[in-house]
Amino acid sequence: MTKGPHVSIRNLSVRLGGVQVLAGIDLDAAPGRVHCVVGPNGGGKTTLLRALLGQMPYDGEIAFEGEPGFVTGYAPQSLDLDRSLPLTVNDLMALMGQRRPAFLGRARATAQVQDAALGRLGLAGKGERLFGVLSGGERQRMLFAQALAPMPDLLVMDEPTSNMDEAGARLVESIVRDLRAQGSTILWVNHDWEQVRRVADDVTLLRGRVAARGAPAQVLERVAGEPA
Amino acid sequence: MSPVYDALRALMEWLAGHGALPNAFFLQFVANAVMASLLIGPLLGVLGTMVVVKRMAFFSQAIGNAALTGVSIGVLLGESNTSPYISMFGFCLIFGVVLRYTQQRTSLSSDVLIGVFLSISLAIGASLLLFVSARMNTHVLENIMFGSILTVNYGDLDLLGVVFFICMTLGGTFYNQMLLGSISPSLAEVRGAQVRVLEYAFVVLITIVTVACVKIVGAVLVEALLVVPAAAARNVSRSLREFVGYSVLFSTASCMLGIVMPMQFNIPIPSGGAIILVAAALFAVTAVLRNALGGFRVARPA
Repeated sequence: MTKGPHVSIRNLSVRLGGVQVLAGIDLDAAPGRVHCVVGPNGGGKTTLLRALLGQMPYDGEIAFEGEPGFVTGYAPQSLDLDRSLPLTVNDLMALMGQRRPAFLGRARATAQVQDAALGRLGLAGKGERLFGVLSGGERQRMLFAQALAPMPDLLVMDEPTSNMDEAGARLVESIVRDLRAQGSTILWVNHDWEQVRRVADDVTLLRGRVAARGAPAQVLERVAGEPA
Repeated sequence: MSPVYDALRALMEWLAGHGALPNAFFLQFVANAVMASLLIGPLLGVLGTMVVVKRMAFFSQAIGNAALTGVSIGVLLGESNTSPYISMFGFCLIFGVVLRYTQQRTSLSSDVLIGVFLSISLAIGASLLLFVSARMNTHVLENIMFGSILTVNYGDLDLLGVVFFICMTLGGTFYNQMLLGSISPSLAEVRGAQVRVLEYAFVVLITIVTVACVKIVGAVLVEALLVVPAAAARNVSRSLREFVGYSVLFSTASCMLGIVMPMQFNIPIPSGGAIILVAAALFAVTAVLRNALGGFRVARPA
């Protein structure tokens, strides 16, 4: 059984172009729990993830407590990619999962794991498809699949189901529950309150600062009537 | 490396003598230029795919044009008229690094910023050319700007060999991370890439290649050879493997044909211009093919 790290964020602040985007954020994501971060557009959710992933300078402290060498998976909402480029699903999986140049083909060691992850998301046999011709939902399935190859101890997600159909979203929820049961730590930026209610153990509502935190029902009650 | 070059040249002469290659291969400078193009073609072919995916064509063009200013500075500082490598490399590197640094710290869009830097660099170069032209033959200047196969010697081939090795090693090792860093920096960081470091490493790669290829293609046109073959390859590719493969093929073919055809058919144009025209013709053909075959955007059966 894997055991994810305990993610501890203390007094995190981020300024962008002279604007305070995040101020005094405290957040804990524990192993074996799903922590959802919700909030309005511009509330700082993606900025928080970028700081966590080392893409943004910040004040404060971000610590990962647990066994060293844990595997982090990240499922972005989308890729900044020209969709007319001749890149197949397998090409992108190779770019993300191996050292050998992707144009030389996928490494045998990682190909099996990647195929299994793609199969789990219903993309078996679609490895040779061009990424640009996939539907929005299929692209998100692929982006989620790559985060599972290899299986992560810490899974960070930025609205991974925003373009998926109901079946796809339910599939992702099911996999997240499996990961939680295996002891992985899951941090999920989410806009869908119904989904949050179904899968989250802990919720943090961000509005540039922590506006509320607790169990999904508690936070939902606190913001009842307000847009998420 | 001279014995290797001599052996290759002897082989080309032998093949030309038996009608397998055009008569131009009897000329030593043509043989030297062809050997150079066998190194340049694959190098630019692979790097070109990175330039296209990273959407850095304009950035690369700016670095290429900065070479012109570097040459002017070098000649003024007393470097060799025909091989002002140090000043060219130095100026292009400073130009590229400062441009990249500024890009990361401004809200200006990339194309506007590159346009500003490119204009400044060209203005400096054009101003310095006035002084440089008084010190050197105009034809030498033309050679630097548009390439000349007459000036390629064994020393240049040695330099190209070293550059080929460095770029293929660095580019091969970090190919995936460099591409991923431009598609999703956060994902690249999670996968262990130092995205910012790799962005600067890519600038260094482009600079090294620009300087190394300037004799064959010329300072003004060298970046076109990074972009046009890769763009042509993109037209007819359905996977990354095909993309890189065709790009290498088109780049190498452009260099070879651009060198040999003017000699064979007595067309008095500089090698740089001829090479880019061949590449452009390949681009036109592949664009028509892409259109005729439905853009290759239809997914293949799973």
